[in-house]
Amino acid sequence: MVVSRRRFLQLMGMSGAAVLLGSCGGEEEVAQTTAAAGTSATTAAPTTAAPTEIDFWLPGGSDPFCQGFELVADAFAAEGSGINVREVLCGVADDEDFNERLLANLAAGTPPDAVIIWDPPVVFASLGALEPIDGLMAASTNSKLENWPEGVLASCRWDGQIFGLPATASSYAIFYNEELLESKGIPSGRDDFPKTWDDLKALSAEFVQWDGDTLISAGMIPPYDAVESWIWSSTNGGTLYDPENRQVRLDSDENIEMLDFGLQWLNEQYKGDWVALDASGNYLGAGYVDELGRPPGFQSGHHLAVVNGFWLAADMYGSEFTGWERWNVAKFPVGPSGSSTASGFWPNWCAIPRGSANPEAAFAWLDYLVVDGMSTWFGQVPDIPTNRLAPTDLFPQSVADQRGDEFATDITQFFKAQLDDAAPMWTCPVQSYMHDQLYTAISSVMLKEATPKEALTLAQEATQAELDSVLAG
Amino acid sequence: MGRVRRLRARPLGRREALAGFLFVSPWLIALVVFHVYPIVAATYLSLSDYNIFNPPEFQGFDNYVKLWNDPTVWKAAGNSLFYALLSVPIGLAAALVLALLLNRPVRGIGIHRTLFYMPAVVPPVAGTIVFLLLLEPRAGPLNTAIETVGIDGPAWFQDPAFAKWGLIILSLWGVGAATLIFLAGLQEIPESLLEAASIDGAGAWRRFTNVTLPLLTPVILFNLVIGVIYSFQVFDAAMIVGGTSGVPGGSTLMYMVHIYRTAFGYFDMGYASAQAMVLFLVIVAVTGAIFGSTRRWVYEGV
Repeated sequence: MVVSRRRFLQLMGMSGAAVLLGSCGGEEEVAQTTAAAGTSATTAAPTTAAPTEIDFWLPGGSDPFCQGFELVADAFAAEGSGINVREVLCGVADDEDFNERLLANLAAGTPPDAVIIWDPPVVFASLGALEPIDGLMAASTNSKLENWPEGVLASCRWDGQIFGLPATASSYAIFYNEELLESKGIPSGRDDFPKTWDDLKALSAEFVQWDGDTLISAGMIPPYDAVESWIWSSTNGGTLYDPENRQVRLDSDENIEMLDFGLQWLNEQYKGDWVALDASGNYLGAGYVDELGRPPGFQSGHHLAVVNGFWLAADMYGSEFTGWERWNVAKFPVGPSGSSTASGFWPNWCAIPRGSANPEAAFAWLDYLVVDGMSTWFGQVPDIPTNRLAPTDLFPQSVADQRGDEFATDITQFFKAQLDDAAPMWTCPVQSYMHDQLYTAISSVMLKEATPKEALTLAQEATQAELDSVLAG
Repeated sequence: MGRVRRLRARPLGRREALAGFLFVSPWLIALVVFHVYPIVAATYLSLSDYNIFNPPEFQGFDNYVKLWNDPTVWKAAGNSLFYALLSVPIGLAAALVLALLLNRPVRGIGIHRTLFYMPAVVPPVAGTIVFLLLLEPRAGPLNTAIETVGIDGPAWFQDPAFAKWGLIILSLWGVGAATLIFLAGLQEIPESLLEAASIDGAGAWRRFTNVTLPLLTPVILFNLVIGVIYSFQVFDAAMIVGGTSGVPGGSTLMYMVHIYRTAFGYFDMGYASAQAMVLFLVIVAVTGAIFGSTRRWVYEGV
């Protein structure tokens, strides 16, 4: 057959359009294929009940962390749960954001059955994106209300209902270098660590050394992190947010006093120069290599103490850990207006998105994960299990390898106990907004652009307005 | 009045038109689906209260009023404007100088051209991390070099006064693309004009300012417009350097980063859409102003 040039071009045009339209309809085709495959599988084995299939998404993490969930899912299926975790989506492509993907699927009515989220459930719950799970919890094996520390579970409460399970919650503590203390004849036991802010500041002063404009040794850096401010505020008798009255409390007297204290500390020990402090070395990385590739001052042995979560214990022995051996952890000291210590925590929250196709199966999976799956989870990436039925004999192997099983067990138990002291946090529906505002306030104080009162008043007004707007919506 | 003859499309012409439409249909469909629809949708969402989980509720210009009164928006807009005002001219000048150098007939020029273009194809994240290391305040190569002449280099990404400058320096990393376009423009300039100028006694500088530069103005226009659009939309580098808070002290919080965090951090899609629409209108206005000014400085002769 002879094809004219015109005819050839027409055919090419039509083919191009067909390919484009075909690619647009790709997912439906795949879905149809999957459905057809499912049908034939059912037909082929009519006597066996097909397992309920669920999808499980989490924001990401290291390879061992991601692989751990596949191992737990396999064990769950092998125990005859009748539930198959079809897909463990652990993180998204580099040019994508997990929340972006989750939100798009929620909006499209095709959410995964269960998720781990790194934004507090109250945020999603206040927007109507999660299923309440009170009833499922009450009827569950592991996840009954009494099996969770109340301070931690508060991060899942919204409007009198519960919208998530804080599967793990690494608590916070102060990591300190015992050898540096002993080098100055200061007792290094955990119980000897300062119990008040004033004592901590005084201890810090012993270790601060400048060489011209370069800080060559630090004691402890004044509080500067928005998330950790929940803890410091609580130890000073304050809070950042009052969930009962739905009021932001950033500019309370306790919080202004907290920033004032930090500013004084900066002025007395760090020349009042936040830029010089930061430029001198990695004192703000809190035990991790910073974005400039600088090794952490703490592991390098010229920084007495840092605030961080349990995860630092497991990550402590990197290549940058040099020249010393003994570190320990201590509770947070009490501020001038406070009466007791407190801790903080950062959970992996499990939740069931609104519109989940199989909420009961999804909950059964989560209920298994938060207790039975914890040994595998901890073995892959150590993190403190929150549920009271979870195994209690876990400890990070990397610490045991360096310091022995006894020390590793001791610090794990310490962090577990810290959850009982946890200040309620992650309870604000506009959490990210509040943290951004608080960061702005803290940095403007440390950079001497505003007084603590001015900075916190601005942050308070903006955050309360945002909260009111979300609540009104 | 003469006879009016109604023109009728010939069957062959209709078939050709149909074939033409079929050929461009992939592009047309993509234009409608990926450009026209998002613009229309964003316009509507900008006038709505929308958090993704619930249907948008029309609320008029509330988001625009909020935007006008939001100090963070103004801070982010100021940061982006500062960045655009400096990174675009500096980038254009650097690209032009590089193009002039690469236009010289020296040995291995092909390798040089490739080397200078290569950074443009390096992923922005990798490029940014390299620059973070280069600009490290105590031991970074740039500050070490500055110190050799007795000057203490600044704390580029720790000091709010210098962090945006760090980003501007970082923007030069991708100058290879503009260089390549300038190079193409330079090679289009007729040699005879330069020779004639030489015969008339013009030195190298006069030849550059009176012949090369005027004839390059259409290329400068192109690079300027593209540069302005990209500079207002800077995101990757700012996000890596300052995160969503614009560390240090909000100095690297660019407008696009603020849109991103409003949408995916605060889940306020309606407000984020309003911010995006304002950015769109600003870019349209600036681009329009640049095009409006071309009669005064763009030379279309030869």
